[in-house]
Formats: sequence, C-alpha cells, structure tokens
Amino acid sequence: MGRLLLLTTLRHLRRQPWQSGLTILGIALGVAVVLAVDLANQSARRAFLLTAESLSGRASHQISAGPAGIDEAFYRRLRLELGLRRAAPVVEGVVTHGTGRLRLVGIDPIASSAFRRPGGGLAPDSVRRLLTEPATALLSAATAVRLGIGRDGRLPVRAAGRPVTLRILDHLPEDAPEGLLLADIATAQELLGRNGRLDRIDLILEPGQADTLARQLPPGLRLETSASRTRVLEEMVAAFQTNLTAMSLLAILVGAFLIYNTMTFSVLRRRRLLGTLRALGVTRRELFRLLLTEALLLGVVGALLGTGLGILVARSLLALVTRTINDLYFVLTATRLALEPALLAKGWAIGLGVTLLSALIPALEAARTRPAEALRRSRLESRLRRGLPWLAGAGAAGLLLGWLLAGTDSGLAGGLAGLFLLILGYALLLPPALAGLDRVTAPLAGRGGLLPRLALRGIAANLSRTAPAIAALSVAVAATLGVGIMIGSFRATVADWLGYTLRGDLYIRQAAGADALPPGVRELVESLPQVAETSAGRHAHIHTDRGTVELLALEPATRSSRGFRFAAPPLPRLWPRYTRGELLLVSEPFAYRHRLRTGDRLRLQTDEGELSLPIGGIFYDYGSDRGLVSLVRSRYARLWHDPGISTIGIYLRPGVETAAAEAALTRLLGNRMDGLEIRSNREIRERSLAVFDRTFAITRVLRLLAIGVAFVGVLSALMALQLERGRELALLRATGLTRGQLVRLVLLQTGLMGLYAGLFALPLGWLMSDLLIEVINRRAFGWTIFVRLPAGALGETLLLAVGAALLAGLYPAWRMARVRPARALREE
Amino acid sequence: MVGRGWHIAMGAFLASGLLLLGACERGAPPPPPRFTIAALLGEQGAGGFARATAVRPFRFPADHGPHPGFRSEWWYLTGNLRGADGREYGFQATFFRFALAPGPVTGDSAWRGNQVWMAHAALSDPAQGEHLADERFSREGPGLAGARAGPFRVWLDDWRLGADGMEGEWRLQLPARGFTLDLRLRPASPVVLQGDRGLSRKGAAPGNASYYYSIPRLQVEGRIRQGERGITVTGLAWLDREWSSSALEPQQAGWDWFSLQLRDGRNLMFYRLRRRGGGTDPHSGGSLSDGDGLIRRLGPDQVRLTPLARWRGYPVEWRLQLAGEPHGWRIRPLLRDQEMRLSIRYWEGAVEVIDEVDGTPLGRGYLELTGYRPSR
Repeated sequence: MGRLLLLTTLRHLRRQPWQSGLTILGIALGVAVVLAVDLANQSARRAFLLTAESLSGRASHQISAGPAGIDEAFYRRLRLELGLRRAAPVVEGVVTHGTGRLRLVGIDPIASSAFRRPGGGLAPDSVRRLLTEPATALLSAATAVRLGIGRDGRLPVRAAGRPVTLRILDHLPEDAPEGLLLADIATAQELLGRNGRLDRIDLILEPGQADTLARQLPPGLRLETSASRTRVLEEMVAAFQTNLTAMSLLAILVGAFLIYNTMTFSVLRRRRLLGTLRALGVTRRELFRLLLTEALLLGVVGALLGTGLGILVARSLLALVTRTINDLYFVLTATRLALEPALLAKGWAIGLGVTLLSALIPALEAARTRPAEALRRSRLESRLRRGLPWLAGAGAAGLLLGWLLAGTDSGLAGGLAGLFLLILGYALLLPPALAGLDRVTAPLAGRGGLLPRLALRGIAANLSRTAPAIAALSVAVAATLGVGIMIGSFRATVADWLGYTLRGDLYIRQAAGADALPPGVRELVESLPQVAETSAGRHAHIHTDRGTVELLALEPATRSSRGFRFAAPPLPRLWPRYTRGELLLVSEPFAYRHRLRTGDRLRLQTDEGELSLPIGGIFYDYGSDRGLVSLVRSRYARLWHDPGISTIGIYLRPGVETAAAEAALTRLLGNRMDGLEIRSNREIRERSLAVFDRTFAITRVLRLLAIGVAFVGVLSALMALQLERGRELALLRATGLTRGQLVRLVLLQTGLMGLYAGLFALPLGWLMSDLLIEVINRRAFGWTIFVRLPAGALGETLLLAVGAALLAGLYPAWRMARVRPARALREE
Repeated sequence: MVGRGWHIAMGAFLASGLLLLGACERGAPPPPPRFTIAALLGEQGAGGFARATAVRPFRFPADHGPHPGFRSEWWYLTGNLRGADGREYGFQATFFRFALAPGPVTGDSAWRGNQVWMAHAALSDPAQGEHLADERFSREGPGLAGARAGPFRVWLDDWRLGADGMEGEWRLQLPARGFTLDLRLRPASPVVLQGDRGLSRKGAAPGNASYYYSIPRLQVEGRIRQGERGITVTGLAWLDREWSSSALEPQQAGWDWFSLQLRDGRNLMFYRLRRRGGGTDPHSGGSLSDGDGLIRRLGPDQVRLTPLARWRGYPVEWRLQLAGEPHGWRIRPLLRDQEMRLSIRYWEGAVEVIDEVDGTPLGRGYLELTGYRPSR
C-alpha cells in the first residue's frame, strides 16, 4: 500500500511539473540565499582568522606600540637582557600591485621558527635566499596563481610610494592566508622605509611572565594577549556581518511564505483524490505520512538545488564581502569558500524544516477530514475566516513585542529580533486586514462593472490563497522600500558630511602603505602663489583606556574648524583650547560605542607616559565605524615623538582654478611626486561615494534576491489560484466571457493583489527604515543618519509590487485563456 | 680538534643530505623538504667563500674574533669541574657561526646580513645521573648575536663569553633551560696551533682544511645553578677555535674526538676520522702539548684506539695506546648518557683517563662522538 501511495504522489508531481517546479524553486531559492550569505560570511571570517592566527602563529602575547612603532633596540634588550627568547619581531605594511593591495609581512624566519607561521613548510633554500637576497618574498599560492606568478617570478609593486620589483622565490603553503607577501624582516624594513622600527613583537610567554614583562615595558609600548588582539579585529567586522545575516534571514522569511503557499496548494489541489483515497480505506496516518513524504521529497530536491545555487551565489557574494571589508576595515583577501558541513547542514535544515512545517498544516487538515467531505475549498476558506481574529491578535502581539524589543536596550541582536517580530506580526495582520478591506470595497465594486467586481470578490473569496501571496510580496517590497530609504538617507548624510568636512580645495597624501610624507613637501606647497594656506594631518593608531583607536592629529587651517559638526553642544571656548592641545574631539561612533559624553575624559598612552584629556566635542564622522579621535598636531608630535604628516590640505586663494593649481602643484613637486597622490576636493568626494555605493552593492544584491523569492511566491500563488479556479473560469467562458475578457480579469485581479501588497508595504517599509536607521545601524555602527525619503520611493514601491504581480499573472492568464471551456467543464 | 665542531658543523652543513641518506638507508621514504634551522644552515655550496689553503700567521687577540669570509666557525669550550659540595660536573658551551651566503651585504636594514648563529650548552652531573642540554639560534643583526676581537666577546641572546673587566680573564654567562653557567676562565697554557702551524687538513681535496687552534688549559672558577641549587665550582676547561669553508668528504662518516688534560701537565688532542664501512681515515690526527706549548704532532699511526663499551650505539669507553707510552689508557665516561639531543644529535661528555694496568687516575677530558645513528 505504501508503495502504491508513493506512486500516486510521484505521478502527481510529474503531472504538475509547473507546480512542483515552483515549489522546488522556492525551496531552492530560500536555501540558496541563506547558504550563500552564510558561506560568504564564514569564508571571509575564516580568511580573516587564518590571517590573524597564522601570522601570529602560536604567539600567546604581542607587544605593540604607537604610530612610530617599536625601536628594534628594545627587541635586542628583550633577548639579551630580559632573556625572552621565544620572541619574534614583525614588520608589517601594505604594498600595491596595480590596483590590488597585498599585505607585506616581514619576519625573522629563525626567531619565528618556534611560532609555526606560514613558512614552516618551505624549502630550506627558499628561506636561505629570503634571508640573504634583498627584495625577495614568498607569495600566497592562490594569489600567485591568480596573478600568474610562478616560482622565481617577478612581481612589480609599489611600496612606500616607490616602485620595486620583488622576486617571488616560492609560493607559500596552501594553509597560508591569501594576499600575503612574506619577506625577511630586513627586506620588509627596507621596502616599507621602516629601518630601525618594528610593528610588533610576538611572544610565547609562560604564565606569570606576562606580568613581569608588562612592568618592564618602556612607555608607549603595550603588551596584550593574542586572543584579545584577534577579538578586537573580529569585533570590527562582526556588526557588518550581522547585518548581512539579517538580510539572509529576510530572504528565508519571504521564502517561507512561498514554501508554505505552494505546499498548501499542492495538497488542496488533490483534495478529491485524497478524499477518494480515504474512501478506499487509506488511513489518516498513511495519508498524513504520504503528504509529509512528498514534502520531504520536494524539500530534498529543492535543498540540493539550493545548495548548488547557494555556492554559486556565494562566490560572487564573497568577492563583495571582502571588497567591503577592504574598503572599510583592513586588507583581506579571500577567494576560497569555506564549505563547512555545518553550514551546509544549517541551510538544509532551514529549507527542509520550513518545507515540512508548511506541509504539516495542510497535511493535518487533509488527514483529519472525513472522506465524504473530500475537503472542499469552501471549508478551508470558512476555517480561515474563523481564524482571522486569532491571526489579528497574534499579529498585533508580534508588532507590539517587536516594537518593544527593538526599543529597549537589547543590543544589535535584540534590535534585529525586534525587527523580525515586527515584520512577522505585520504579515499576520494582513489576512484580517484584507478581509476588512473587502467589506469596504465590496459596495464600491458593485458599481464598477462586472470584471472589477469579479476580480475584487475573487481576492476576498480565496483569502487562504491570496493572503499569503500578498503578504509575501508585501514583505519583500517593504524590505526594498525600508532598505532603500535607509541607504538613501545614509548616502545623503554621507554626501553632506563629505561636503562640510572637506574644506580644502586640494589634498596631498602618501600612497598606500607609506608612513609619512617626505619632509619639505609642505613648505614647497606653501611657496606656490596660488596657495592661501594649508592644513596638515597625521593619521595614527594610539592606545587609550577604551582600546586602540585611530587618531587624526590635525594642524588646522583657519577654515578647518568648520569641518566639524557636533552631535551635542561642545565645551565652551572649544577652538582655542583644541589648538592648545587641552582637549580631544571624538567621533560619534567612538562616543556611542564607549558611552562617552562631552566633558568625559579619555586616558591616552603616549610615549611620554599616560595622559588624561577631556572630550571637548563629539563630531559626526562617517569615515570609520571604529571611531576617530582628534588632537591638535603640535601636542601629538610632542607626546608621540612623531613630527611626520600624512596629509596636506590646500586652501587656494580666491579666484584660482583648482585644475590649474593642481597642474602647478604637480610641476612643482616634480620628482618628489613619486608615491604622492594629489586629489581635488571633488575627486575625493566622488571616490568616497563610489566606495559607499560599492559597500551597499551587497545589500542591493540581497534585496534583489528577496524580491526574486517573493516574485516566485506570487507566481506560484497565482498559478494555484487560477488553475484551481479553472472550472469557475471555464464556466464564465461558457457563459459568454471572451478570451480577452478572461485575460483582463486575471490580470486585473493580480494587479489588484499587487496594489494591495504595495499599499500594505508602504507603512511596513517606513517602519523598517526607521528601525534600520534608528536601531540597527545605530547599534551596529553608532552613526546618526538623517532620514531623507528618496524622491519617488513610494511610487516606485507601488509600481514594483503591481509590476511583479502583473508579470506573475501573465502566464496563468495565458494558460487559462487557452483552455477550451467545454473540456475544462467535462473534466469535472 | 676537528672533531668537536666538526660533526656538529657537519650536521649543519650536510644535515639535509645526511637526513635523507639516513632515512633511505632505513628504507623509509625521504621526508618532504621542510624548513628547519639545521637544514637552513646546511643548504649551500662552498663557492665564493675563503678557503683554508695555506699556512697563515695567527695574531691574538684578533684571531679570537670572527672570520666572516669563511663559511663556518666555532668557539668550543668544554671542562671538568669540582663543586664545593664535593661532586664532579662537566660542562660544554659552544658558539657556532655560519654564513648563509658569501660576499658583501647590500641593504641598509640592521637585520640585513648573511651570518647565522647557533649555540649549544650542556651540564653533566654524574652523581645524579643527570645530563642537561640546551641550544639557541639567532641571526646576527641587529646585535642579537656575534663576536668581537677587541675586547673579545662572543654572544647569542643572553648567552655570552668574553673579556670581563679583569685583565686576561674571560667570563662565561649562560642561563639555559634547567641550568645556568657563570664561570670565570683564565688561560693557563699557551695557544697550541693544531695541524701544520694551525692549518688542519681534513681530507684529500685541496682546501679541504681548517684553521684551528686550542687553548688546552683554562683555570675555571665560578658558580653553576642546577635547577634551584647553586654550587660554587673550580676546574679546568679547554677552548677550541676553528674556522673553515669545507665539509666532510663523501667517504667520511663521522668523528671520535678526544681532548685530555693529564695530571703530569700534558694535553692530548686526537680526532679519529671514521670512514664509511669502518676504518680510520688517513687524515686523522692530533697533538701532544704541555705547559710550554706543542710537544709533537700526532699522525693516525701514533694513536691506537679500541672501543671497549657502547651505550646506545655510541662507543663511550675506549682504550687508547699512545706510541712511546709504556701503558695503555682507559678512557671512561663519567656518565654514559651525555647525548646532546638537540636539533643535531651527537654525544659529547666528560671522561676520566686511567692507567689500564694499575688503575692510576691519569687525568680528565672530553670525548665527542659524531656521525652515529644511535639505537634507542
């Protein structure tokens, strides 16, 4: 009997290839999106951890320093006097190859042999040449293959602004991170212009040694555990990745609607067959099991397809993720996917779980029905109508709970959970709302002619079918709107900020990987008659009692002060006190993250010892979500013994053309130009916004995926609806409705569904954007975003919803029109 | 005194090759090439380095310092000590310099350089049956390891040997894993130039030789720490200095090296170069000296060596018959397990010399056994 039943199922699936196909596609899309985001996230994370771990190897601790690095004499002292012999020096920097960036890490292969870094598996001859031949390095195998560089090949790079050709002696072992150039420490110092300085010292310390060592460190140096170092880096990208995961969850939410819808339909469609089976003596249990088996079958096929699809999508997504991390945080190369069984299992579990859950309700329904009743549609509809108050209650509860959860101090995860509850609650409210709407539109429809009336009533009468479709489309479209408003507002905010921050007309900076500008450049620049004045900035990382933070040491020009806007009223007499170095300015994300207010104090670890300064103001800054601290340059130079500057802002005299000044500047700097970049205000603004857009490319891709899932949902719901109503429509045709009228009826109905979905999406989208801006982004990054409704966003949302619905209605309409009424009726 | 540095240097020079050979002989597949420091030191030809081809004048203290044009060089200190607790101890402290490449260095980083250093240290405590050994590696720059002639010093990390205030006196300070040596050393005999006026031939090939001198007696006093225990000690040490650019010849398997300080004031150095498949290489040799300096050079025929007992494959006990001596000598280890289980494995230990006929103690010394594949 079991086999016979299974055959029935298989036959059903074969006879309804469209329906089965859509179900499978829906499951596959849902699984694919979740899996792709997970895979991309995990792969980026793995690449990152691999980089962090393999570079410090087995080190338990690290010594790091301020911007000037560690004097290598301290390392000698460590070995010769303090007797710490499991200590390995590291010089690190970035070099560019074409437009790509590579991380150059200089180690002492002999001192690091205890640390099990990449390089442990190298031929002794490579290591000997690495040690003895200048400008030699080893390159990650994957990167070398990508760049087409064989063993003993040449790699032209720019290091510290100078062009150098490196000889790649060998490829690093496979377990080494991508994008890594490993060189001897002497080579790294020479290439990066860091002679005499180390960036960090890796240590393997016994318990107890750390405290002793910490007491012996000279001022400016800092001892920290490897774990805490990695954690800080990890926290950097965590918020970004959480947001990605949220997008993937959104896709699964929409996917779940779809799966539910198609599963329900596939059962209901066979109500007569199932009734017959029951009448023939098939038990409820057998029927129930049959339906679940069928769902499982579809689920497995869908999940399999979804896995393949997910891996495909993950590849391009990973490129986007790493590019974003590169733009926002640090140099990371990842092209390999971490195909971990656990991740695949998770994608499968979600796909199969949702499928089975969706099948459960109709399967129970079918199994519970008495055979004679043969499960009529009308019964289902009336049952749904009876359930409407419950749905309304649950929906309202979800909305309320979500709102509360997001509103309270629940952290990023809480905010996201709140957002999802809110969406879910809203979706549950849709069927009751549609029923209510029907009561309003029914009298109106009576006056609008036959077709609109038929269309309107059709939606209301088949609520069990139309409501999930409308809800799915509505949620997807609302997400587009909400995320759209968020990104649009964010972009506008950033553009504004760039506008008032970049006060200078031209900026000069050293190209990637370099330390400071060559001395004398600023004086040369100021000697130009076109130049009214200049400002100078120095970017460095410093240690504070709130962790390591980026510092901008600024020597402002008279106009520079206007480049800061404050989130709260700053301290009185701010600028004179800032210029004297009596106070700090901190960026909003930094203040938000550490709960700092204007007037609080920050303790800095300087090369002259510890220093506590008040926070004079909290300024808007969208350049870094890690935060930025600003101190006047004269004071910084004294405290950290670092007279260098990394950027020069140039203010031109009135009436001077920027392009002309730029040309004059290029001529003037002549051969000193090597490695220097001159950028105009406009160019920087454009580039920054390009980076911004690139960052949100991922969001756009995910948004499209969510809409894709919703579209398939609407299509399958409409297919279900129209096919189900085949007889009804055939009757209409038989009673005189022309083929054209029928097509119009179907399209009108789907269009109306789209319109409903769009209308319902508007408030939800607005709500979502508000949560995204005020809760999610704030908690993830600490930025204030000034809400701006992108022009036409509301209209676009409606158009998108109606368009998607109409598009989805085309095929069912065409199909229904083709059916000859006589045949459809006969089949009854 | 080729032997002492020799095998270790040989291990370093040829480690990769020998390791492969050893593995093949045991029928195992050769290991994949992996970077180890020993292998690193082993991987280069002698081309471009200075060679020991002719007799040269030795000047002191200049020649106590480094000779970076040669591929390898060592400062090799061994000695027998007696503690205030009445117990006997043996110690070894060796600094090796290796050049990874010949020629001048270009580049302005202080880390840039071709010189790599290795140091071995050991403390034998026969009464407790304990042998402690440790090793260090480092590149030379910036000031992490190195040697200087005036005033003399050689160091690697916090291990150092060199002039220390007192005229004519050196100090060894060596905190190692499980033990610490802090000894003052005062030369008590003149420098002995080994081989032909300091040119010591190691094989038939021209240039296959080293420059080699010894200070056979240094008076030692100081303190050692063993675990938590500090002991005041006095004794006698032997310094070997050798530099060259050559390696073992293919038919040479290893060395048995003796440095013996006799009670009658004479000092004997002899190395037996072992050929593959057994037999003594004709380039084996040594010297006999006394408090005034060299007495005579010894060829392979003037010293007859017979192994008497083995410990894990190492011939740790010997009979030595010196031509012209009435009685043979028995050379016995103070402790059987004085194996150096470091990145290069060899046996280096304190021995006593007794008259084989009447059992009279004749003196003390050090024995080095290299090129053996110890059984477990």
